[in-house]
Amino acid sequence: MSIKIKERQYNVWREGNAKNITFIVTKDCQLACKYCYLVGKNVKERMPWEVAKTFIDYVLDHETDPDFAYESVVWDFIGGEPFLEIELIDKICDYIKVELYRRNHHWFNSYRFSFSTNGINYHEKAVQDFIKKNRDHLSIGITIDGTEKKHDLNRVYKITEKGSYQDVVKNIPLWLEQFPGGGTKVTISSADIPYITESVLHLYSLGIHEVNINVVFEDVWQEGDDLKFEEQLMQLADAIIDDGYYQDYACSFFSEHIGKPMDPERDNQNWCGAGKMLSVDAAGNLYPCTRFAQYSLRDKEAWTIGNIHDGIDKNKLRPFLTLDRTTQSPQKCIECEVASGCAWCQGENFDAAQTHTVFERATAICLMHKARVRANNYYWNKLYRKLELEDLREQYEANKREVKPEIC
Amino acid sequence: MLQYLVILLNNTSVAYCHADNPLKECSLMPLETLKKGILFGMKQNLMIQYVFPNYELPKEYAKVIESIDNVKIYPIGCKPVTGIEDGNNADVEVANEVPEKVEAKNLVLRLAFSEMLANKDEIAKLFASGARINLCITDVERFTDGQIEAYKQVLNEWDAILLNLYKQGQSPQFNLLSDRMMLEKMHNCEAGVSNITLAPNGKFYLCPAFYYDEQTKVDNQLNHHQPTSDNAVGDLENGLDIPNLQLLKLDHAPLCRNCDAYQCRRCLWLNRRLTWDLNTPSRQQCVMAHIERNASRALLNDIRKIGEFMPEIDIKEINYLDPFEVRKEF
Repeated sequence: MSIKIKERQYNVWREGNAKNITFIVTKDCQLACKYCYLVGKNVKERMPWEVAKTFIDYVLDHETDPDFAYESVVWDFIGGEPFLEIELIDKICDYIKVELYRRNHHWFNSYRFSFSTNGINYHEKAVQDFIKKNRDHLSIGITIDGTEKKHDLNRVYKITEKGSYQDVVKNIPLWLEQFPGGGTKVTISSADIPYITESVLHLYSLGIHEVNINVVFEDVWQEGDDLKFEEQLMQLADAIIDDGYYQDYACSFFSEHIGKPMDPERDNQNWCGAGKMLSVDAAGNLYPCTRFAQYSLRDKEAWTIGNIHDGIDKNKLRPFLTLDRTTQSPQKCIECEVASGCAWCQGENFDAAQTHTVFERATAICLMHKARVRANNYYWNKLYRKLELEDLREQYEANKREVKPEIC
Repeated sequence: MLQYLVILLNNTSVAYCHADNPLKECSLMPLETLKKGILFGMKQNLMIQYVFPNYELPKEYAKVIESIDNVKIYPIGCKPVTGIEDGNNADVEVANEVPEKVEAKNLVLRLAFSEMLANKDEIAKLFASGARINLCITDVERFTDGQIEAYKQVLNEWDAILLNLYKQGQSPQFNLLSDRMMLEKMHNCEAGVSNITLAPNGKFYLCPAFYYDEQTKVDNQLNHHQPTSDNAVGDLENGLDIPNLQLLKLDHAPLCRNCDAYQCRRCLWLNRRLTWDLNTPSRQQCVMAHIERNASRALLNDIRKIGEFMPEIDIKEINYLDPFEVRKEF
């Protein structure tokens, strides 16, 4: 296992001072994934070019506004499936590049185009031409959930409900050739739990060295899921350690930083970047994050913060930009002995809240987080004991790779 | 802790705060509902505040109304006749234009910002009336940064008038300027926390404005339509049920808990209307409250040049009008 994982450029950008701006280019997707939080997907809402152009002009016109005073920018493209609109995306990216140059904008040469795709049409000429044209400024993640069985359990075509694994996996070699450090994002729902270990190992076998996994934030969990989850993670820990994967592969489930109590004052920052991000949909409405657009919400109306013509209503951003951990958390979370690393999604918090607020934290993943912490403790205790016995701990510490939690 | 029960005797009861009452159809609270409301207040140990419409209520209401100690809030010129005069009354008159004289000990004067500027001299004449003057601006949402200087100027002019009254030995009470000088901690509206409103339909609301919104189906989030416009937080049959009650409290308001514009109304209805979250004030609210705070500070300093005054109060000099701008320093 001598492959040295390159630090993903994506993470470098996320850690830096970058503004995240998202185009919801379409609400259509080839798939109808069973765990998808996008409840309002449709084929009608495709972003017109004029909307995209007006939005870009609005953003670039406000270069000196504090909301855009970031060193760099990540232009995110999301769907549905963003590559369904590759022609529009290509036009958008060309326009951004030209305008950044023409305006001598401080984001010129300090920008990135970012995509999260289902990978189905990754090989198509239009997508490949786009990749070649923008290679130095691209981050692309392909979502593949693990083994064919696990993947096809959820990631199925709409109407036919046929699994999409075979159509995705064939594009993985091309993707890894173009993005050698590419990581994938795996989502775990209740029915997926039995397949976690084999799925992560399967992704490693495909050459994917970084697997970012999270359990869904929605309240989908069944009694006993936490114990099954813990068991799976312990099996995964054994495999990663016993077979030496820990040297060159990463799985975000295991982190030394999780499972500790958190100081109410010192560790009081919000988890999520909602409000610091900016999203636009096909109608030209602006959102603090795509999760606040109508197609993402089950029970609440969309939380728009303005539109491309009138700009951002900054009053609507104030709740997001004043959010902290303790104000939105119930007492059990504030007092939790294993609080660190327990994530939340502001959009899901809002959708699940009793009232119209972003200050009520949803805690559906509570037991799952605690199970993860137990397995995580097991992982690190076992790994460090092994390294100490083999006198390799110092070497490991010197070379170990930090896996930062995926904070949106 | 709940301390006050506001009872809207009629749909058309007078609006006495930021929100106008858009309800035109007369709908009197049924006598039985009123009795139950009073009973609720007695059991919860709440001071009752009746809000009257601009017409005389049927005679049978008078006895029920006076069955408990109360405060009456009524349109100016429409003092309720119940046959009982409270010698130490704290009744409140409400006016939507500057009156020539004030009869009650408290006046709520509801004006748009432009009306306030246009009537600043007439308003100043009320300071010497002996009544407490509560000026309530009814179009806070339209206040812009371009009006900051105008607001500062009118408050400065009123500072000078109030200072003269203090020099003459009077103690004028004008909410925008004198309240902050007396306060050592937040003293806000506290809708849902220290007071609750009972509407004619027998349901509880955080304040009358939430009832108006529900009844008119006016969406409180402006262009943001909710699946339900039910704003009630309980009823007389089942008691209070306030979801996310903690978010109404100061300690759950990240901007406000760090703020020292203690006189601010901290209006939940405006919060929700302008920022969509009950615990977060808009820029307009914060800026206006800080202009008032700073003008209070100036007045306090001027009064202290005459002699010792409220020595325990310390209003620090600050260089911002909106605490949102310095939130990272909290």
